[in-house]
Amino acid sequence: MSEHIIVGMSGGVDSAVSALLLKEQGFDVECIFMKNWEEDSDYCTSEQDYKDALLVCDELGLPLKTVNFCNEYKERVFDYFLKEYAAGRTPNPDTLCNKEIKFKSFLNYALKLGASRIATGHYARLDQHNEAVLLRKGNDENKDQSYFLFMLNQYQLEKTIFPIGEMTKKDVRTLAKEKGLPNHDRKDSTGVCFIGERDFTEFLHQYFKPDPGEMITVDGKSVGRHDGLMFYTLGQRQGLGIGGGHGEKEAPWFVADKNLKDNILIVAQGHDHLDLFHSQLSVENVHWISDKSPSIKKLNAKIRYRQKDQSCSIDISNDALIVVFKKPQFAVTPGQAVVFYDGDICLGGGTIENRN
Amino acid sequence: MYYFDHSATTPLHPKVKELMGEVGEHHFGNPSSVHVSGQKAKTLIESARRQMAKAIGCSSNEIIFTGGGTEANNLVLWNLIHQKKKHVITSVIEHPAVLNVLDNLEEFGVTYTAVGVDKTGMVNPDDVQNAITEKTSLMSVMLANNEMGTLQPIAKIAAIANKYKIIMHTDAVQTLGKIPVNSKELGADCMSFSAHKFYGPKGVGALFIKKDLKLKPLIIGGNQERRMRAGTENTSGISGLGLAAELATNNLHKTQSHLISLTHAFKAQITHIYPEVIFNGHPEKQLPGLVNVSFPGFRNDLLMIHLDRQGIAVSSGSACSSGDIKPSRILSSMGITDDINNSTLRISFGIDNSLQDMEYLIKCFKSTFERIRSAT
Repeated sequence: MSEHIIVGMSGGVDSAVSALLLKEQGFDVECIFMKNWEEDSDYCTSEQDYKDALLVCDELGLPLKTVNFCNEYKERVFDYFLKEYAAGRTPNPDTLCNKEIKFKSFLNYALKLGASRIATGHYARLDQHNEAVLLRKGNDENKDQSYFLFMLNQYQLEKTIFPIGEMTKKDVRTLAKEKGLPNHDRKDSTGVCFIGERDFTEFLHQYFKPDPGEMITVDGKSVGRHDGLMFYTLGQRQGLGIGGGHGEKEAPWFVADKNLKDNILIVAQGHDHLDLFHSQLSVENVHWISDKSPSIKKLNAKIRYRQKDQSCSIDISNDALIVVFKKPQFAVTPGQAVVFYDGDICLGGGTIENRN
Repeated sequence: MYYFDHSATTPLHPKVKELMGEVGEHHFGNPSSVHVSGQKAKTLIESARRQMAKAIGCSSNEIIFTGGGTEANNLVLWNLIHQKKKHVITSVIEHPAVLNVLDNLEEFGVTYTAVGVDKTGMVNPDDVQNAITEKTSLMSVMLANNEMGTLQPIAKIAAIANKYKIIMHTDAVQTLGKIPVNSKELGADCMSFSAHKFYGPKGVGALFIKKDLKLKPLIIGGNQERRMRAGTENTSGISGLGLAAELATNNLHKTQSHLISLTHAFKAQITHIYPEVIFNGHPEKQLPGLVNVSFPGFRNDLLMIHLDRQGIAVSSGSACSSGDIKPSRILSSMGITDDINNSTLRISFGIDNSLQDMEYLIKCFKSTFERIRSAT
């Protein structure tokens, strides 16, 4: 009997082509639609996603089932997301969702259904190397999603296949069209899954009361009011309500820092303002995919998804991890993930704690 | 396929299927037309009306055909907007085709009290009586619940309604062909039915409206259905409903004993292979053929996928639009914890299930338990 694989089906073209490829390779493929978020709102697209997934599976002749992990998602991802925002930080729920939901709850569920491994439509590659699994970047530089997968461990990766990791998005779409998959031209999803296409700040306003305070420039000059520090992200440009007129030049303003103690938002003018850049950051919740910290100290890092690799050195001592970048980095944001690479190998990463 | 989900819907009875094909093919005339073809269609509808009336012990001018059970409920409930008194008494275990309608009627000034149920899922008529206010003009309590099958004391509730001159409606879609449903004995003013729950077609329902009760239509247009439901009649669907109702009530005793013996055997055998099993609902006052059963320690969606792979159709909680399972609000209202709720399946046997089918179901449960246990 052929190996039984369960594919996490989102309704999108990436997971659809993943299932297609595995089927063509002769695996015994079954698909599961994961529902991790529910609310009564026009923004909730999961019903349409499910219908798309149904049509894809019908075309492929594969069974589709749904599993609901809304409680798990709420407890293990969303509550953390809110807690971080409340603390004035900017969390990344997608990395946690992968660790806790897709590659934990879903994986366990699939194993209970008798599958030997799961597959997802992530742009990333896996490589068995000297008894260890390496996580490599996807071949499509633009789409590489290893950044979101840095929290996974050896066990999780051993039980996983990324069928489209070698492909480019363009090839994935072309293949989907060739094979007549009904979702081949579906729009790429953007943003955090539970927020969808809606306005992010508006979403946060459902959970946080406004907590207005003063907005000052890095030089201490008052330039207005803010609605509450959690509604702002470091490096954010829009939505500050100040035109260029406040400065000498007409350059736009950016969020440079948050003074949580005094509830003050600090802004700087011009994208190149020095106060928007930092060369050093400290990391918490450090995780290494191989279980061991790397022997090399000079490597690359990304502090946001799709950022180009940045040269850096790391210093690990007394349970603290300090990263020093070769070039200063724009908007180093506490709560976001810093992910380390050695060439195309994703080594692991952690949560940005502080910068200086 | 081994189908054990008859409370969701039933397959067409072969005789109903045959009749509907024939009507669709030969009697396509518009029942409002005066030519022979139209008059034949009209005759078919009136004969179906008589069959339906006989099935529930009313006269045929008390039956209106609708586009299903949901529409029948809506027709009754939307009449509230014409009433001076706009308070309704209902129960927490009603189908969304009642509760969601009432929520939507709030903006027209309608308010409602949903009485709770005890741990067997039963409404207490005293609670209904105590909920009456001077504004109450309607009671709507279902005859049997679709999830755990508890039969509700409708005759008692209707007696209270009659005493206070309140209109009594009951959503009876789960019951025809499984228990005796007699309009006079129950004493309700309106009752909703749906053909596909008793081996008839989907998209056709019937509403019993007691003779003296004047309601306004929901769908307005031509003069069909005594102006209570406009639109060219679904002749083959209505014929199918009529025959299905007749077959369901003619064979009631046979069906009942068949369903009860399947249920008893299933309960005994499932208890044997999984002694921790919990049966929800009322020990006696229960819809024949429906078993609501919890398997503590097993997620119901996992059980369902395993069973589905073996060709078995059962159901659980209320299936949502994206195919997932939510904890059942019905079970929650009976005081059942979320853990138990999420381990609950509904098995609903039907006339086409044999004892061998049930034994295959037991066999599949056994292998499913073993497989899940061996994977953990």
